[in-house]
Amino acid sequence: MIEKLMFALIAIPAIAGVLALVVPSRIRGAREFIAMLATILNLFIIIALFGKTHSFSYPWVGFGLEFSMRLYHFSSFIILASAGFSFLICMYSTTFMMNKNHVGQFYAYLLLSVAMVNGAVLADNLVVLLFFWEGLLLTLFGMIIIGHKGAYKTAVKAFIIAGVTDLCLMLGIGLVFYITKGNLTISKLNIPLDTALASTAFILIMIGAISKAGSMPFHSWIPDAAVDAPLPFMAFLPAALEKLLGIYLLARISLDMFQLTAFSWVSTLMMVIGSLTILFAVMMALVQKDYKKLLSYHAISQVGYMILGIGTAVPAGIVGGLFHMINHAMYKSCLFLTGGSVEKQTGTTDLARLGGIGKYMPVTFTCFIIAAAAISGVPPLNGFFSKELVYDGALERHWIFYAAALLGSFLTAASFLKLGHAAYLGKESPAVRNVKEAPMPMLIPMIVIAGGCVLFGLYNPLPLNNLIQPILGDKLEGHNYTGWPHSVFLVVMTLVALAAAYANHLFGVRKAGKAIGASDHIHHAPGLSEIYDAAEKGLLDPYNIGLKIAGFIASLAWRIDRGVDWLYDTLTVESAYDLTDIIKEQHTGKYSTYIIWSLVGLLVIILYFSISLI
Amino acid sequence: MASLLVLIPLFAVIVMNLPLKGMRELSFPAALLLIIAQTGLAFMMPPSFWNMAPPSGIGSNFSLNFTVDALGVVMLISIGLVSFAAIISGWRTIGGTDQTQKADFASILLLCIAGMNGIVMVNDLFSLYVFLEIVAVASFVLISFHRDIWALEGAFKYIIMSAVATIMMLASIGLLLMLAGDTSFATVAAALKSSDRNFLMVLAVGLFTVGLFIKGGLVPFHGWLPDAYSTAPSGVSVLLAGIVTKTTGVYTLIRLVTSVFGFTESVMSILLAVGLISIVVGALAALGQKDFKRMLAYSSISQVGYIILGLGAGNAYGVMGAVFHLFNHSIFKSQLFINSAAVEEQTGTRDMDKLGGLGSKMPVTSTTSLIALLSTVGIPPFSGFWSKLIIIIALWQSANYFSALVAVVASVITLAYFLSMQRRVFFGKLRAGLENITEAKLGNLVPAIILALITIAVGVCFPYILEKFILPIKDIIPLVIKN
Repeated sequence: MIEKLMFALIAIPAIAGVLALVVPSRIRGAREFIAMLATILNLFIIIALFGKTHSFSYPWVGFGLEFSMRLYHFSSFIILASAGFSFLICMYSTTFMMNKNHVGQFYAYLLLSVAMVNGAVLADNLVVLLFFWEGLLLTLFGMIIIGHKGAYKTAVKAFIIAGVTDLCLMLGIGLVFYITKGNLTISKLNIPLDTALASTAFILIMIGAISKAGSMPFHSWIPDAAVDAPLPFMAFLPAALEKLLGIYLLARISLDMFQLTAFSWVSTLMMVIGSLTILFAVMMALVQKDYKKLLSYHAISQVGYMILGIGTAVPAGIVGGLFHMINHAMYKSCLFLTGGSVEKQTGTTDLARLGGIGKYMPVTFTCFIIAAAAISGVPPLNGFFSKELVYDGALERHWIFYAAALLGSFLTAASFLKLGHAAYLGKESPAVRNVKEAPMPMLIPMIVIAGGCVLFGLYNPLPLNNLIQPILGDKLEGHNYTGWPHSVFLVVMTLVALAAAYANHLFGVRKAGKAIGASDHIHHAPGLSEIYDAAEKGLLDPYNIGLKIAGFIASLAWRIDRGVDWLYDTLTVESAYDLTDIIKEQHTGKYSTYIIWSLVGLLVIILYFSISLI
Repeated sequence: MASLLVLIPLFAVIVMNLPLKGMRELSFPAALLLIIAQTGLAFMMPPSFWNMAPPSGIGSNFSLNFTVDALGVVMLISIGLVSFAAIISGWRTIGGTDQTQKADFASILLLCIAGMNGIVMVNDLFSLYVFLEIVAVASFVLISFHRDIWALEGAFKYIIMSAVATIMMLASIGLLLMLAGDTSFATVAAALKSSDRNFLMVLAVGLFTVGLFIKGGLVPFHGWLPDAYSTAPSGVSVLLAGIVTKTTGVYTLIRLVTSVFGFTESVMSILLAVGLISIVVGALAALGQKDFKRMLAYSSISQVGYIILGLGAGNAYGVMGAVFHLFNHSIFKSQLFINSAAVEEQTGTRDMDKLGGLGSKMPVTSTTSLIALLSTVGIPPFSGFWSKLIIIIALWQSANYFSALVAVVASVITLAYFLSMQRRVFFGKLRAGLENITEAKLGNLVPAIILALITIAVGVCFPYILEKFILPIKDIIPLVIKN
């Protein structure tokens, strides 16, 4: 029974996705109905399966590769989360996507993504995992390209970045296959990181995982997609599902597939990536003047905390990182959904054209406040507790990582103060006067998720004891991280950072005269403004740099190709014709010449024969 | 039975020239019938059939010492097929409306066939020489049949060069007779093998080899060939390029090297060298030709180079590849000459620069020529691919890597000149003034289609052909390697 239900987790969304694609658009509401039904079923199945453990495997494509799946607390936790989000976002989309183009495709990709994520999470064989993982590449591409006509550029960008990093993942899996001499069963892997080969395999798989999670330097498609793709996509894939999946794999390789130890260089590398992601992305988020784009940079920045937390390889950090994963998925999708409400009701997400909508959209505003407070780490919301745990872990390793994380918190808070102030408070912009509150199907998901943020904060033993801490098992070393943070120092420092952010906001608003300019003094600070300019021109985008390098290689290859072409088309042909001309000139048509040739030939041959006699 | 292959054509020539009424009109069909009979019998009967004693009364009075082996069978089939194509192609055009001329043509053609059959079956050097001369004289007449000034020049060059070759071969035969006391292949071979080699011996071998090089038109002994091929009447070019030079020059060389001279190191090096030079020079010269037939003539030189190269590999595969390529070449080169004859007949010119886009007007000619050229270049599944492949494998096996490489690279030049021909004549836009061109006459279409089908069939049914005709050649050749 469990086995059948596990298959159903993949099959139901996949079949429903295909159905949504083929159901004619004439039947009103059919696609929405299919999608809702499938996501509800998905949710029920995983609730029914939750807490159960089961694994099975069937022979598959040969070469000893088996279709093996494993249901246990970690995978059911991720699937439960993804099922919850997909259900809520599906509900939200029934209203948001109404009267938009490509609705059928949207639901199809959404449901297929759910199927792929379920499959990837359940997979107990790296190749099976890769199979479903790559499937997400297609839905990602499809989701972005249906945004609008010009979205294909972003879609291609996302596809290339994801494709390249998936290739790294594939190589990493190949190395694992080599190292373990053919064992690809995830639950049986436990590779020591003592050889260069093992470290390389780890880093390659890590690249695949963190890029799926949206970490730097594989992030640059996310802000573009925020503008181009349909909004529920942002709340769904980059903010929730891909984070869950990416961090899931990262946790798997850090916790049990490889023997990652604290103070190993791989662990330090992960922490560096995490810290840099936090700082750079939040710096970019700070200066954004678009609701969705600002959020998208935070979607990158917050991954940094998770990677930092897991990268510490100490229990507090790992618990914090994983807790942050689920918390982030909640508040970030909630924030995106509020952004979607604002877009739906006012028609814009440009902060310069928004302002003072808080009183017209009180529910949205309230949800925004809760989610924004959670992401900024305001106690007693869920983000506060997970960040404290990450800080704890980071401080255990080195204070510099802690400092980076704290600075990130400060900037996060500052940017959300600016966002909230500019969008919901302040002077009413004439464009948005008398907007209405968003309709119910859009409000319910936001309220549910915002409620979850409060719940996971106030009763943090609920998620920590039931969802997070069992994942670590023995690695927990007897700690229990529920309840209030243990270190007063950390709490005080967090509060100082939040206060500083508030002070900074007040200073910025006063200096600029309006809320949207609250970050201008940082934006135009000497030394920073140049970097910002370069970043805004896309000069720092690794994708663009990669394109430039690729362009250079392409032009080099083109030149070589021209050379080869010249060799074939010009040199060879010309010299062949030159030889032809010489031969033609010799054929004068005089038989005397020909006789002489023959006699000379005869002489040469006789001579040659005679020489061979000697 | 073998002697009948010579006696019947000779007898037919005599009958055809009896001063009887209606005999002239009958000569062409009669010749065609004989050719078809020879082809069919050669294809179906095993060599043992020919080596049976002739029915008493006819052949027993002529004690000619003929034998037919697997190599001979392939040659007899080739002779039959090419003569068939030549006589059908020449039926209408040769001699215009003059029945006497037509009858003369048929007679000389049969004489030529009798000579070639004789060459294929003889067992001693002097008989070989006699049949060579029969074929040569018949060819002179055929080339200059229309007494066209250019054809006369071509024939003259052929006569002169052939005379040089004759002198060499006759001198060689004299020397060998002196050395061995007899001219039969076996005796001479034994004499060459047993005695210590001396200057007279190598002189004899060298002279004979060069004589055959001239007959076969290999570089640098090829001077007569382009003129003779391109100026001859269309049916005659088919015969000349398809089989006459192949039998008189190339087959004889294969036969003598394998059965008489033996594969000595020096003979093999000379064969390889001449083969390579012929391939490259022939192909490059073909690249620069404007005249359709002249281009084909140079292409023939290049392809004969391949045959000689295969022979020069000095192993069983090399000989099989050479014979197979000889057969294939006789098919596809005949076909290309027929196509060129069709184009010349329809448009009145052979200058490829004045042609263009004929593919739309002469689709059959265009398609068959494409098949033939692809086969020549060595594109699967056409027959030429297999023979070239065998030759290259043979070269590789005998460690002649450079020759194998040149053979492959020269295929590219072959492709270049043939595609350039196809593009200039058949593809592209129809050239102004050619709007009223129609498809070739049946006389050219029928042999073209038959030969194209043979090219495809041999390529596709290669395993059968290999088993039945090519592999037996291996067994009958005493592969003597002497150092």
